[in-house]
Amino acid sequence: MQVTTKNDRSLWEVIGDYFRANSIWMKWYCTGCGAIEMPPTMTSRFDMEQLGMGPMATPRQADVLLITGYLSTKTLRRVIYSYEQMQDPKYVVGFGSCTLNGGIYYDSYATINQLDQYLPVDLYIAGCMPRPEAIMNSFATLIEMIKKGEARGWKHYQENYDWYKANQMDSLGEVIIHDEFHE
Amino acid sequence: MTNSTNNWIECLKKETGLEAKEGTASLQYVLDVDKQEAHQTLAYLKRAGFGQLSLLTCIDWIEQGTFQLIFILMHWELGHHLIVRALLDRENPEFTTITDIYPGAAYYEREVYEFFGVHFRGSAVYQKPLFLERWDDMPPLRKDFDPQAYSDGKFPKREHPHVFKANVVEVTE
Repeated sequence: MQVTTKNDRSLWEVIGDYFRANSIWMKWYCTGCGAIEMPPTMTSRFDMEQLGMGPMATPRQADVLLITGYLSTKTLRRVIYSYEQMQDPKYVVGFGSCTLNGGIYYDSYATINQLDQYLPVDLYIAGCMPRPEAIMNSFATLIEMIKKGEARGWKHYQENYDWYKANQMDSLGEVIIHDEFHE
Repeated sequence: MTNSTNNWIECLKKETGLEAKEGTASLQYVLDVDKQEAHQTLAYLKRAGFGQLSLLTCIDWIEQGTFQLIFILMHWELGHHLIVRALLDRENPEFTTITDIYPGAAYYEREVYEFFGVHFRGSAVYQKPLFLERWDDMPPLRKDFDPQAYSDGKFPKREHPHVFKANVVEVTE
């Protein structure tokens, strides 16, 4: 997504972004097959802790929401729920071609085709699948973006909330989750 | 009922007149039944040792105008798989619920209703949504459903500036 608003961080935000970029907690939402690339990225083979990134169990304490793969409409409702539970500042990374343009599920009746219509995506990782090297590379890019104040998707979401909500309603009908296990 | 499970095929033939054929894999058998006698056949087979319903699903034979319900049963002592098949009318697909024989079939019946629109009379829950939330079109696994058209109408697509086409080279003698 093209974030066009100008970069007007206050001094405290600049300082905050600098320190924040070196300590990122990531919540990865394993929606599709992309989840299989995460264990080597997290564990000793590629070791994302060398960048100062760690896994987080709950979206309420996470900084990054990593969407690993295709999103069915059913899953997207839960993802939007999770995203809105996260505290600012928060960043979204779309992983794999499914989040970009639907990937091999481009004509599926159940999966969305373009994630940035519904959530502000700061960074996309192209590929099917992206290798752990690509994920590490994107994390390094994300850290640079946070330091420079370019990862502004969460502000874009606040400023254009009506646009995002309208898109969510068009494709999903409603975001509220109704199912027999939660009622 | 017989407990000498080794000859369930002969007992089935003797008592119901139905003949189970060998399937394509080893230890696999196939049994085609009428819609009306499917219920009693399944009840008989459960007593004959097929205690597990592994799968209940449906096939849309659109050219023949039929749905085919597939019940895969398993015999735990012999390791036999039995595929029981019944044809339904595609225009008015109705079947009697088998939850009184295999209670776990309730979820399969909900799935088949959701994806194929087969009605299971006698079940209180078969119309409850299972996988699809807020579905607003015909059952999506029917062959005449067009997923591309549904996706185009519902989900925005990314505009691609480049269209990549294979460069076809004509070979001339």
